[in-house]
Amino acid sequence: MKDVMVGRYIIGNSMIHRLDPRTKLISCTLIITAVLINYRWYFLLFYTLLITIAIFLSGIKPKIIFRSLRKIWYLLLLTFVFQTILTVGEPLMHLGSLTVTRQGIALGTGTVFRLLIFYLCSSLLIMTTSTIKLAAGIESLLTPLTYFKIPVHHFSMIISTSLRFIPTFIEEANIITNAQKSRGAQFDSPNIITRIKSNIAIIIPLLAASLQRAEDLAMAMESRCYTGHPNQTRISKLNYYKKDVVLIGFMLALLFAGVSFSF
Amino acid sequence: MTDHCIELVNVTKTYRNGSDAGNNEKIALNDITLTIHEGEYIGLIGMNGSGKSTLARLLNGLIKPTTGKVNVNGMDTRSPKHLMEIRRIVGMVFQNPDNQIVCPVVEEEIAFGPENLGLASDEIKRRIDWALQIVGLEELRDHAPHLLSGGQKQKLAIASVLVMLPNYLIMDEPSSMLDPLGRQELLEHLRILNNQKGIAIIFISHNLEDLIQADRLVVLDKGSIYLQGIPREVFADEAKLAAIGLEPPGLYRLINKLGKDGYDIDDHIKTVPELVEAICHLSLR
Amino acid sequence: MSSIIEIKDLNFTYQPGSPYQRQALKNINFILNQGEFLGIVGSNGSGKSTLVQHLNGLLSPTSGEVIVCGVDTANNEFRNQLWKQAGLVFQYPEQQLFEATIYEEVAYGPKNLGLSELDMRNRVYDALEKVGLIPRETQHLAPITLSGGMRRRVAIAGILALQPKLIIMDEPMAGLDSIGRNLMLDLMKDRKQKGNETTVMISHSLKDIWALADKIAVLDKGSLVFYGEVEKLLGKTELLTKCHLELPDYLQVVYSLAARGLKVNTTIRSIEEASSEIIKLLQEAEL
Repeated sequence: MKDVMVGRYIIGNSMIHRLDPRTKLISCTLIITAVLINYRWYFLLFYTLLITIAIFLSGIKPKIIFRSLRKIWYLLLLTFVFQTILTVGEPLMHLGSLTVTRQGIALGTGTVFRLLIFYLCSSLLIMTTSTIKLAAGIESLLTPLTYFKIPVHHFSMIISTSLRFIPTFIEEANIITNAQKSRGAQFDSPNIITRIKSNIAIIIPLLAASLQRAEDLAMAMESRCYTGHPNQTRISKLNYYKKDVVLIGFMLALLFAGVSFSF
Repeated sequence: MTDHCIELVNVTKTYRNGSDAGNNEKIALNDITLTIHEGEYIGLIGMNGSGKSTLARLLNGLIKPTTGKVNVNGMDTRSPKHLMEIRRIVGMVFQNPDNQIVCPVVEEEIAFGPENLGLASDEIKRRIDWALQIVGLEELRDHAPHLLSGGQKQKLAIASVLVMLPNYLIMDEPSSMLDPLGRQELLEHLRILNNQKGIAIIFISHNLEDLIQADRLVVLDKGSIYLQGIPREVFADEAKLAAIGLEPPGLYRLINKLGKDGYDIDDHIKTVPELVEAICHLSLR
Repeated sequence: MSSIIEIKDLNFTYQPGSPYQRQALKNINFILNQGEFLGIVGSNGSGKSTLVQHLNGLLSPTSGEVIVCGVDTANNEFRNQLWKQAGLVFQYPEQQLFEATIYEEVAYGPKNLGLSELDMRNRVYDALEKVGLIPRETQHLAPITLSGGMRRRVAIAGILALQPKLIIMDEPMAGLDSIGRNLMLDLMKDRKQKGNETTVMISHSLKDIWALADKIAVLDKGSLVFYGEVEKLLGKTELLTKCHLELPDYLQVVYSLAARGLKVNTTIRSIEEASSEIIKLLQEAEL
């Protein structure tokens, strides 16, 4: 395990893994935009097919995708049901006082597929891009904002420091939990007050440690001449290759096609 | 004159304590004058509260003296335009290995300093390779720092400072959180950096066992210089050390006891095998 | 003497079955009797912390038996209550402090024991005195404002106040200056003198504990490579080097002299005794 395991990054070396993170971020955005604008059935079907091919190319086992879908099936079901009974149109059948319409079914299906596409698209992005690369990609894409005096590099420093210390915090929290358990703290007590008190015994030490850490880090950074300079090394490792350009071009083309066909 | 040394000239540092009427001032350092030459290996010793950490932070301009001056290779630490260069020349490694590593990847951590200096990308890449090789962490270049052992983290910290090509390296109690192996490797490393690369080492500690390889020792107590000299001399004065709660390394306590009974051991004896040899010689006379 | 800890064929693996699986303990066997002082040494990653977390019920074996105070820790209910009898002080315990005053901090454990106010106060005062703090003067102080050494003493008092039959300390002297270390050593010596209190102490430095320990356990990569009296360990130079364990310098000197055939008594246990032996040797040589 070489990288920070925040999120659901799955290590791999597929074609999709090797794409520049910016390509994946841009493509994801373009797909979501396209599908928001044009939701004709053939368009949605086409994109669903596209994403399925991408999942296949990424080498991520389908059962992992299905397992993650289980988390949102409530949402999908609810959406479908609400759309079918609340849309005005040609009635197909009656369930008590509720009317199911043909337009409702069409809209419901369409919305479910759109949600699916959003979810699968972003899941694929997170599963095939390491957190560091993702942060670098986002920072690179947001760099033009510095011309508008938005401190993009400060945000990236914040994200970078968080990535650096999340595993350390988790480890410390585990140690402190065990230490307090060794003094009788009950973390799984049925009494909610006891549970809250026990958690306070973890939170306060963690906070105190963070304050000390912040002070120490600031001194260490100053000692190495930090003045708010952006982190170039991470961004300089990102490179656009031919396949990146082609893919982005393809997505753009699809978007235009979708926009034009929606009229 | 003063181009290749760090000079403290009549330095006093006071802190104001408390916010209400009381004008409580704590004197952390009291009229200190000290010179550290390039290439030296100095041990700075003292109990907690002696002022040693304050002194360390004065050397690279993290804090400024209340009165007096600190000059680094001729540059005054109070002048803002020199601060960048001072901090490049005087590198600092801290006690807690975790709390000085900023970036989530080893390679990026080493690049942090050079990037702040505004160096070109190829130069940074070259230096990263070099620094990794010096501390022996080449295989861990893509790793996340939290996966490293304590000793490896300190090596990373050293590499992150070395990469800026400093003339002086301040180690602020670097081994107190390491296991014996990590500590041994650290001390060996510093010896090599001092001998072969000529980097001045300023090693701060309250554990005298760490400082046997130093050229010179400076003992602080309550903000003043209490004792100074080569290790052997300082270790010999057990009474004075004990008065402020310090103990010479075990080997030297033994040598001191033998000396009291009239059996003088040579000045250059620093290790167990050397002492054993010396005793054998004495017993065969 | 009854045994307070019995470990039989203990094996422990972290996250078994996952890609991060790691066997931390392999086939550990030993018995510790009541009143004894056990020192556990070994380098980082040798399994010391994992082992002691089995002794207070935080962890349970992947295979094998851990019997503490006569009861097998396989019994879940027993394990959940074991903290009352086996007090574990973690490394850098001063980092766990969270209460507003020293009194409340030390009373946290006793409070969880469900003691009466009076009993609690007695225990807190007793524990504070044992670590060298005067209760009346210190009980209202806020731990956050204290030095690291004092905070560590407060943390240890917190476990002492539980008055457990067995106390386990994980590197209690890490990061302390010589005043702090001497205080800690005095605390340990006191416990030994009482006779009926059992202590287990982890140290990565053999020098700290060899004078205190009745028995020493040496761990190397999860295996118990030595268990027995300290004297028996002192001759095993190969083992000591392999596990990066160092004897105190004065002991090494005396041992080397003896190895060269010189007449020195190797059962010495302090610098004073070592120097007397060497001086005796040199005086005899002069005759």
